[in-house]
Amino acid sequence: MGHLFSLIETTPPSPQIEPLEPTLLPPSSINASSKSALLVEGNESLLSCFRQLLEKAGYAVRLAPDTEEGLRLFRECGPFNVVLINYYVPEKKGTGINCLIPQIHGVRLAAVIRDMNPSQGIIIVALDYQCASDVPRPAEVAQIPVLIETGNGQLRSLLEKIEVDRAIKGLTSSELLQLQLFAKFRIRGLGRAARGRDWEDLLEEALYRTLIGAEDTQNGRHWNRRVSFVQHLKGAILSIASVWKRQFKEESTYLMSELLFHDAEGQDYSPIDNVASSSSPADQRLIEKKEEDRVLGLFNDDSEALQLLRGLMEGLRKTEIMSRYGLEEKKYAAALRRIRLKVLSQRNNGSRG
Amino acid sequence: MADKTNHDGNLERFMNQLGDSVLALSDGNIRAEVSEAGADPDGEAERTRTVLREALKRLENVNKHLSNFGHTINSNGWHRGRSGYHNACATCGSFVSFIPATGEMRGEALDGRCPRRDECTVRRREASR
Repeated sequence: MGHLFSLIETTPPSPQIEPLEPTLLPPSSINASSKSALLVEGNESLLSCFRQLLEKAGYAVRLAPDTEEGLRLFRECGPFNVVLINYYVPEKKGTGINCLIPQIHGVRLAAVIRDMNPSQGIIIVALDYQCASDVPRPAEVAQIPVLIETGNGQLRSLLEKIEVDRAIKGLTSSELLQLQLFAKFRIRGLGRAARGRDWEDLLEEALYRTLIGAEDTQNGRHWNRRVSFVQHLKGAILSIASVWKRQFKEESTYLMSELLFHDAEGQDYSPIDNVASSSSPADQRLIEKKEEDRVLGLFNDDSEALQLLRGLMEGLRKTEIMSRYGLEEKKYAAALRRIRLKVLSQRNNGSRG
Repeated sequence: MADKTNHDGNLERFMNQLGDSVLALSDGNIRAEVSEAGADPDGEAERTRTVLREALKRLENVNKHLSNFGHTINSNGWHRGRSGYHNACATCGSFVSFIPATGEMRGEALDGRCPRRDECTVRRREASR
């Protein structure tokens, strides 16, 4: 690998490459139907292999056999959802006089592209290396992920990370607030089943399950791009909350001191007597009832909100609530708003959740 | 006397309905509500983004660590256990786990380079020729 070290060390920085104004670049798209990739690869069999993998993952792929063509395509068609550059890609084919990047190879092209557009997702392919840490790179591209696996697994994981990163950056402030409030209300709905976890834990877990990309809902929720990122996270939150609830019911554990009790004659009752049943245990129901009364108590002076709240607790639909209590659309919306505000204010004055 | 009404899931249903109703709010309305509830909408929005980005960074850090050691980790192979996520190197079988809340990593895969990596790299190099 000595020649690579010397190439990096002796190649001068790239002042000859004039960075493009970021504003001149076309807007990024995280739309599933327009995922794009630039593949800069000099080896024909690897080019064919990566092209297939990317196309299978839904990317429209542009190909460049050398860094010169890679830079030209990036300038003309970038940014892309992802740019995949082989560490060993040649600088150019032929001997063009107007070569823009006369001395750089893959890793330097990566540095130039990163310089032109710091948010461009890039992956460096270095299949000849055993470990990513062995790949010699200048400091400015040290953070760019390196692909050392020929299999689909690592590439898929890196692509997913880049897509999710773009999606997070693209979330508007109102979408972020929606996610936060949605997670907050879900956590409150879980009650004790949340086991001290808050909305941040729920949202984090939703992202982890997206990133691990497993196909089953128990371990992960792959983002299939047919829905928006917000809709996907909402679905993941619902699924996780439901798993937490189920786990709580199945695995509730208590200290012996919490379970053992004595009657008036000093007789101990064993926890073994508590046989699991499909209905909630009495103590849990009591706690829920107390919390329910506390929430209802917040609206003692607001009859419309109280009616709506009772309807929601019974699981009635909007039209059913409006019809039962004679509420018009506007009054329903206003009462719902008052309820949300009061419940939220309670939390904002208190804990994180 | 104890209330014998079945309250199972009442509060959960109610909170879930409130959560669903948030998704239908317009940009202006949701910002106004957060503000009226006593919080800063921009601050809260960025806080939410940070939660997502930090989670992304933590998992990326785990993958980067393993890649630096030459381990092959199947992204579909993570399993959620009681204390965190678990996986194993597809090449050498070394175990690794990480705790989401802290990003803490554990396992023999973090002890050093993948011992069976050399064989794979040689095979791959020969195959590409």
